[in-house]
Amino acid sequence: MIKEVHMPKLSPKSDEYFFGKWDKQPGDSVKTGDVLFEVETEKAISQVESQEDGILKAQEVAAGETTKVGDLVATIEVA
Amino acid sequence: MIYLPVDSLDVRHNFALEYYLMTEKRPSEPVLLLWSTTPTVMLGKYQTAENELNRPFIEANHIAAVRRLSGGGTIYNDQGGCQFTLITPTQDTTIDFTSGLSLVSQALNRIGIKTQNDSRNDLVVDGRKVSGSAQYMTDGFRLHHGSLLFNSNLNWMAHVLKVDPVKLKAKHISSVHQRTVNLIEQQPNWTAAEFKQQLEHALIEITNAKTDYLTSAEESRLRVIAAEHFSEAAVWHSDHRDFDHVHKRYLKGIGVIAVAFSLDHHQRFSAIKISGDFFSNINLQRFEQALIGKTYQPQAVTPVIEHQLRQTPIKGLQPEQLTELLF
Repeated sequence: MIKEVHMPKLSPKSDEYFFGKWDKQPGDSVKTGDVLFEVETEKAISQVESQEDGILKAQEVAAGETTKVGDLVATIEVA
Repeated sequence: MIYLPVDSLDVRHNFALEYYLMTEKRPSEPVLLLWSTTPTVMLGKYQTAENELNRPFIEANHIAAVRRLSGGGTIYNDQGGCQFTLITPTQDTTIDFTSGLSLVSQALNRIGIKTQNDSRNDLVVDGRKVSGSAQYMTDGFRLHHGSLLFNSNLNWMAHVLKVDPVKLKAKHISSVHQRTVNLIEQQPNWTAAEFKQQLEHALIEITNAKTDYLTSAEESRLRVIAAEHFSEAAVWHSDHRDFDHVHKRYLKGIGVIAVAFSLDHHQRFSAIKISGDFFSNINLQRFEQALIGKTYQPQAVTPVIEHQLRQTPIKGLQPEQLTELLF
């Protein structure tokens, strides 16, 4: 089954985040709590963790892009 | 609250201390640090050094340069000012500058210095910045650190920080020098060391913090972390260094667009990176991939750009503007 990862709300002030980097690549196995990616907003760096156990299937956002709360960021294939 | 006195003026040591506390020591209660540095520029995590820093001036004056793990812009400070750090154990991943800034402004107020908090989480005096803050979060901890200008060398600050020339031209941002002010204006009889001491006392009183110290084994660990995470090399490394050409322009109503690229010996794109502060949901990786291998000629590139922007537009941008930027 494919689970979608959407951009969570991290800042009370802003819904738009600078996408910093991926910590997992497509094909990597991920566990709940593993850091998937990092974003920056309002001078703060936040790491977003996986809520699933599975394999990272696709990255839908690239480093340096702007993402908004709710955007599809990645898909994870879970058993 | 724990207060850890910091004697080192080496920014790499002090950033390593923060990182050590966050990732290895993992304290069960908040930790407060107050520290100073030799003349130092501190770059935000995702900034490009070449756009921000006046490298010849930095090298000629032996100014330390370091990349923070926190976000935001570049700051300059020296022993005329100081830095504060607040590390808080928390499972809440929401960004929060309020608690740290209210503590610092409360302590400043107690020693007779009045500041206001602006919308960008800076402390200001009559609209002029005296303190900038940034954050990073790791598993279970939030770090909030910031600078305070008391009698810092604002002349050097102006020389060291390069306002992005593209933006400066288009948006007329005045220089950093004009937008900052030293707190010494409010306490003209104090030295910077006295200011720091007064602030330290006020912070300890307000928080009722216990003073603690690192062991010598922990101090040696900091040297390893400093070399691993806060090296000089990490400052000057940026994506654009891998490219032969960088074309950058400010387009009114769109923002800054930069295209960095390299060509192979057949004059075809061998690498390309598009970046900027424009608004779009475009998948830039896919866009860049579509241009790889194309000949560096407007007639070869235009159809690709038109096709990509038709699929996902960049707000306000016409395909021909991007083509023009490339050639």
